Amino acid sequence: MRVETKQRRDAPAREGRDRFNLGLKLMAGAFIFFMLISLFYLYIAVGSQWSLVVDALFDSRILGALWVSVSAAFIVGAIAIVAAIPTAYVLTYSEFRGKSVMETLLIEFPQTFPPATVGLVYLLMLGAGSPINIAYTYPAVLIAKLYVSAPFALSFTLRRFREIHRTGLDVIAESLGGKTRHVLLWVLVPLSTIDLLGGFSLTWARAMGEVAATLIFAGAIPWRTETFPAVILLTSQSAPQVALAASLLAAALSIAALMLFKLIAGRRR
Amino acid sequence: MENLSKSYGKTRALDGVSLTISPSEFLVVMGPSGCGKTTLLLTVLGVLMADEGHVYVDGKDIDALRVRERNIGYAPQDFGLFPHLSTYDNVAFGLRARGFARSEVDARVEARLSLVGLQGLDQRKPSELSGGQRQRVTLARALAIDPCLLLLDEPLSSLDEATKAEVRGNLKETIRRTGVTTVCVMHDPEDALELGDRIAVMFSGQIIQLATPAELVENPRGEIVRRLFHHLLKS
Repeated sequence: MRVETKQRRDAPAREGRDRFNLGLKLMAGAFIFFMLISLFYLYIAVGSQWSLVVDALFDSRILGALWVSVSAAFIVGAIAIVAAIPTAYVLTYSEFRGKSVMETLLIEFPQTFPPATVGLVYLLMLGAGSPINIAYTYPAVLIAKLYVSAPFALSFTLRRFREIHRTGLDVIAESLGGKTRHVLLWVLVPLSTIDLLGGFSLTWARAMGEVAATLIFAGAIPWRTETFPAVILLTSQSAPQVALAASLLAAALSIAALMLFKLIAGRRR
Repeated sequence: MENLSKSYGKTRALDGVSLTISPSEFLVVMGPSGCGKTTLLLTVLGVLMADEGHVYVDGKDIDALRVRERNIGYAPQDFGLFPHLSTYDNVAFGLRARGFARSEVDARVEARLSLVGLQGLDQRKPSELSGGQRQRVTLARALAIDPCLLLLDEPLSSLDEATKAEVRGNLKETIRRTGVTTVCVMHDPEDALELGDRIAVMFSGQIIQLATPAELVENPRGEIVRRLFHHLLKS
């Protein structure tokens, strides 16, 4: 059955007269253009230099940055998820003074705190002159990226644990005799797999893109601490084709990671 | 329950509720929305702490016990089945958490599923079951742990009218066969009269009448009870 109301038939005419609606669409269009143009311009900018860029993809420096960035992002994503689960549990089930301040310090603050300052703090805390000196090493890359990107994993996990808590499934598990480990491992974690995956995916992507904190605390030593963004930053003037190659690869990896996550999430639902 | 009181800010949800429930009794707690019946249930379960008063099971004060230590079966209004687990795994949850051997888990789950008439559906997820079947899985799961007390929160309210009549009969029969002491919260007077050995009528956090269905129909105490049961009263 098809029902066409008078209002629906009149809709185009009414919209045509609705300047506010048109204004909204124009503003939305301008923002969408702004957000997408940088992504597409990357491929336009390569222009006729494709062969140079393809050669640069096999440059040892790019391959080293690929290894450091991808491996560090995976390790950071895994550590962030492992840390997010108990932290989200505590923040969901424990009541203590200053809890909301604690949440802000763990989730919002690291995302707004200048990454360069984060790098400097770690350099002072764990650099030359401190009892543990790990500056300019691979662990320094992990630490700098973890601080900046782990809040994504925590916020996804915390939001989901609170949703489950509101359904009362945790109370039911407890009434059946479930201890903390049963509630966590048999109820909360299995019901949060999509969100954990989402948290991992965004943590991974953020860790891939993080540059300032990593550069200051870990430096940019090829095959040890130099990441994609560092290569782009350091070669954009001296060897633009290398910077372009690194950018293309970084963008492609980010898109692939997001598509993969959406695919897995879609299948599970 | 002895003199249970619970307030949310200035609202008194429970106001000195005292009740003694006999072994194997099916007690229905009924009253209008917001009268405190769910608060009563959650206080007995241990999710909410009473401001005053005590809950005793077999003469033992259980106030200090956590939810998991009380051995009270609980079936919430929306069934509360774990959506990622099969019927079998839902019913086995409490037994596994208590460390029962696999063979014992198998035997108990099978016995409970057969008690509620759900043999053959043990591998289905809750989303693949009808409302009536979900209700029965919830009951089987709560009964699997051999609880000292069973708490049912509006067990029929999520069901359509046709399913409700069928489930109501099964529910009473299943619980009678296990002999478990039951406190069931309801709002429908007809369901309450049909299921309860006794009915506690609550209003504003207090029990205003505690009687058998026959007594309640014969002799409703006060205007509120009369209004709740008006279409079922003899006079």
